[in-house]
Amino acid sequence: MSNLNSISKNIESEKKLVKDIETLEKMRLQFLGKKGEITILMKDLGKMDPKERKAKAEELNKIKDSVNNFINSKSDEFEDELMSNQLASEKQDLTLDSKISDGRIHPITQVIDEVIAIFTDLDFCVAEGPEVETDYNNFTALNTSENHPARQMHDTFYVNSETDGMLNVLRTHTSPVQIRSMLEGKPPFRLIAPGKTYRCDNDQTHTPMFHQVEGLVIDKTSNMGHLKGCLETFLKEFFETDTPKMRFRPSHFPFTEPSAEVDIGYRKDGNQIIIGEGDSWLEILGCGMVHPNVLKNVNIDPDEYQGYAFGVGIERLAMLKYGISDLRTFYDNDLRWLKHFGFIPLDIPSISGGLSR
Amino acid sequence: MKFTISWLKEHLETKALDEEIINKLTAIGLEVEEVQDASALYGDFLIAQVVDEEKHPNADKLKLCKVDIGGKVVDVVCGAPNVVKGMKVVYAPPGAVIPINQMKLKVVKIRGVESSGMLCSEYELGISDSHDGIIHMPENSNVGGLYIDQMNLNDVMIEIGITPNRQDCLGVYGIARDLAAAGIGELKEIELPKFKTVGKNPINILFEETSNQKNYCSAFGSRYIKNVKNCESPQWLKDKLSSIGLKPISALVDITNYILFDYNRPLHVYDADKISGDIIIRAAKKDEIFLGLDDKEYNLSEGMCVIADEKQPLGLGGILGGSLSACNTNTTNVLLESALFIPANIASTGRKLFIDSDARYRFERGVDPNSLNIGLDRAAKLIQEICGGEISESQICGTIPNNEHDISFDLLKNTNRLGVEIDQSEIESMLKKLGIKITSKKDNLICTIPSWRHDIHGEADLSEEVIRLKGFDAIPVLPVRTEKRINEKILSDSYKNSLRSKRFLAHRGSNELITWSFTSSKDSKFYIDDQKLEIQNPISEELDILRPSLIPNLLNAVKKNSSRGFESFSLFEVGNQFFSDQSGDQKNIACGLRAGIKFEKSWRTEKTHYDTYDVKDDILTLTDHLIPQNKKIEINAGAPKWYHPGRSATVMLNKKTVLGYFGELHPKIMKFYKIKSRISVFELFLDEVPTKLKKTTNKENYIVSDFQAVDRDFAFTIDKEIEGKILINLALKADEKLVKNVEIFDVFEGESIGIDKKSLAIKVTLQAFDRTLNETEIQEVSAKIVDSIQQKTAGVVRS
Repeated sequence: MSNLNSISKNIESEKKLVKDIETLEKMRLQFLGKKGEITILMKDLGKMDPKERKAKAEELNKIKDSVNNFINSKSDEFEDELMSNQLASEKQDLTLDSKISDGRIHPITQVIDEVIAIFTDLDFCVAEGPEVETDYNNFTALNTSENHPARQMHDTFYVNSETDGMLNVLRTHTSPVQIRSMLEGKPPFRLIAPGKTYRCDNDQTHTPMFHQVEGLVIDKTSNMGHLKGCLETFLKEFFETDTPKMRFRPSHFPFTEPSAEVDIGYRKDGNQIIIGEGDSWLEILGCGMVHPNVLKNVNIDPDEYQGYAFGVGIERLAMLKYGISDLRTFYDNDLRWLKHFGFIPLDIPSISGGLSR
Repeated sequence: MKFTISWLKEHLETKALDEEIINKLTAIGLEVEEVQDASALYGDFLIAQVVDEEKHPNADKLKLCKVDIGGKVVDVVCGAPNVVKGMKVVYAPPGAVIPINQMKLKVVKIRGVESSGMLCSEYELGISDSHDGIIHMPENSNVGGLYIDQMNLNDVMIEIGITPNRQDCLGVYGIARDLAAAGIGELKEIELPKFKTVGKNPINILFEETSNQKNYCSAFGSRYIKNVKNCESPQWLKDKLSSIGLKPISALVDITNYILFDYNRPLHVYDADKISGDIIIRAAKKDEIFLGLDDKEYNLSEGMCVIADEKQPLGLGGILGGSLSACNTNTTNVLLESALFIPANIASTGRKLFIDSDARYRFERGVDPNSLNIGLDRAAKLIQEICGGEISESQICGTIPNNEHDISFDLLKNTNRLGVEIDQSEIESMLKKLGIKITSKKDNLICTIPSWRHDIHGEADLSEEVIRLKGFDAIPVLPVRTEKRINEKILSDSYKNSLRSKRFLAHRGSNELITWSFTSSKDSKFYIDDQKLEIQNPISEELDILRPSLIPNLLNAVKKNSSRGFESFSLFEVGNQFFSDQSGDQKNIACGLRAGIKFEKSWRTEKTHYDTYDVKDDILTLTDHLIPQNKKIEINAGAPKWYHPGRSATVMLNKKTVLGYFGELHPKIMKFYKIKSRISVFELFLDEVPTKLKKTTNKENYIVSDFQAVDRDFAFTIDKEIEGKILINLALKADEKLVKNVEIFDVFEGESIGIDKKSLAIKVTLQAFDRTLNETEIQEVSAKIVDSIQQKTAGVVRS
């Protein structure tokens, strides 16, 4: 028993010496290590007769538990202290910055992606065509003969190469993609053709290169009512408003008949343009029923098939939706402008995820 | 096309308000571009009289005027040099808004003297550029009266845009007819003029006999009017022309202009005494000279239509009169022409000679053949009324074509086209008001199209007439979605690559630019061998060819933005590059550029600059993004001539396809642009990038080893010329089973190891699938690696 008493005394005095994790470990080894005082006594228990063993074991276990408890609680205490010391020493000045700047997507790209998202949902595919076009595809096949006054209004760029004796042109609109697509495939057609277009004009409101998106629907039944529905759906989705105000005005395009221009209703609030409210009108697109002569030119029987086409200026859409007031800035490549009006690359427009944020 | 409401009402009986008329014009396709209400603009301005003037006490150049504004005299300070006592002037009272600058007048003190209102110049009223002095009103002007009453300005001027198909609305009468058809009032019939004729036209008029007469002029009508006295036009005529911005010239000229705008009928008057012999309508000879009314000399080419006498051309038919036979105040005998020229010929002549005239504008769009006689007679009658004289019988050379034609109009098809059924009686009523005769009823209407409508050829055209008069609001909004989807593939592979590339590159910190598809031939010489890329009519010298590369425009963007203070450039563009001016000879390229500062020196980083390795990473990670599997990419040294030969490479796919290039731009290009820093670019041919090489979306099988991997570092001193890739491959091949990865982590060059040497340090990762490697095995592999590299590269391992 005296052993036990001296151990208890030792324990009490050693406890007082415990100051940190090291001295605590020292104490653990002294009593509970392989050669620790308690461990040795525990081993000795085996040699005792059962009666004595029982009484001593009980006592010894009590002492062991108390040491364990002490060590555990002290250990937690020291760990906590260590952690708070570490935390205190690791404090950072987070008013400092380390930026990795990401790039921006050009507004034209973003708007075209929005348009594609909308029309994909409406079962339109995306068609493409070359930017150097034949005179035939750009004009003649679109019912615009050589002396048609509309040709002069186009301010066409010409290159030196020829097709069938006529100089090739930089396409003045995306409409020749209609011709190419219809010649390549068979009706029905539902397509859009976004892309670059060119006109020899350069001032505050014109750039020699700009972007359009063409739309074409050819089947046996699509009429002007469907055209209206198509454009209303598009404008609703694009401008993210439930109440787009649309106004159809008769107009003239050689390749559609009847033809119309569409205005969108808006109001100005300071520099902001609010679509769908107010009573100012802005011309936004041209459209109409595909002219029977165009269908004939691509070997489609106009008595069997009919449909509609439209063309929208991408820059105009971008300016209205995102409040960009100067057309020329799109092509000025000013990085400050791009930081401001450009889009975060992962903001990919989609119907499910939303067009804009 | 400009006109006034009062002019319109000469042809249109209507009670409609101005606003209704304006809205209806736009609604039927005659888009109103401008409305100028003179009474709103000038309504506040009064006629006044200067009753006294003296020098301003505090200013040498100003005068202090006492002005009678009709029973009341006010003080006005005026700076005009021409102001004198007794002069009648235009007075703007306080509260009036000055048209030219939109300034609202107030009573102000000018140099200490109070001035109440202002005396106006033509410039201030926006009438002309003249601000030499204030307007001097005629003596008979009514002091205290309104300026607009004095000037007969109580009218609204409307300007409409006419689409190229609507030649019939290039005269006020045609506009009135369209409005009447749309339900705004009734069209008034034109009264056919009656006058006595005296004898035949004494001038012999004939076509030059050629087979192609039909190609330039189908009919030439004329009357000879003798003993006229050309004079200033009467006030009503001058007012009419002024109201649409035309300058009155003389009665004879003004009358032809009036008929042109009123009835859409171009006419011409010749001074008959200046004609030598017969009038011959003929094709111009090559290099024939014609002196125009605009005092310019035109060099004609064959096939252009001239109206000539026996000596020379007197007029360019349907486009421009000549100065040699022009009428002036001495003109006493007149030949009045009303002809019909062929649109295609007019268009090509006008285009070649760069003449834009009101006559050309109308003839090339097509003039009503039946207006020939009416126009001729209306003008002759007016000339007689204003200038006197005797009118000859009319003479018509050639034949006036009958261009009326029938269209069978299927009303069911009309409904299917428009998406709305419109009542047959309503359709008939609208078409009839346009002058279309309807001869048969039932489901098909037989429509006879009148001579003045050159734009109605088929049923679709009639549908347009119906719906524009009815209004587009009548069309219902029908659903755009269909039951069955027809498109399986939405985007082409190349298009998908474009979209993915843009998002990926921007996410890597690059900014997307969109630059012109044109560029300057000077800047492009580095990229061109002998490609033909010229644009015939470039917008400027700097944009004279199709771009043979996306690089020059990106370099210009670098220059521009450096001047704006930028020092770090991560730019890219995805777009077309042209290989020739043939249609379709273009490829879709992703082109990226890195230059300048990569990291600014900061509290945690040293300043670093972009270099070749950044664009290498761009093109390779982009390629990896676009082709995620089943590819073998190789980097071969060397790239086209615009790259630095020692700092560029070509990226190959599966040993056969060139995917693109990357590297530093050739120093001579930097020298050309005077750019001091180095610029690295990459070009990736997106059309060459397959979006999917395999049919399956499954990835290859992959086994993970759970046994410990160990890293060993080695350093070798080798010849400078030996590429790092060789060391990596040798280490990988030293034991293909156990060597899992090799990376170069240090490159050192310095005199200490010899100037033609370099030291490369590699980290080799070893791992087995079935066991933990023991030290002996690791030693064995290490020895193999060292042996192999030392043997194959003559390198020396560094300790």
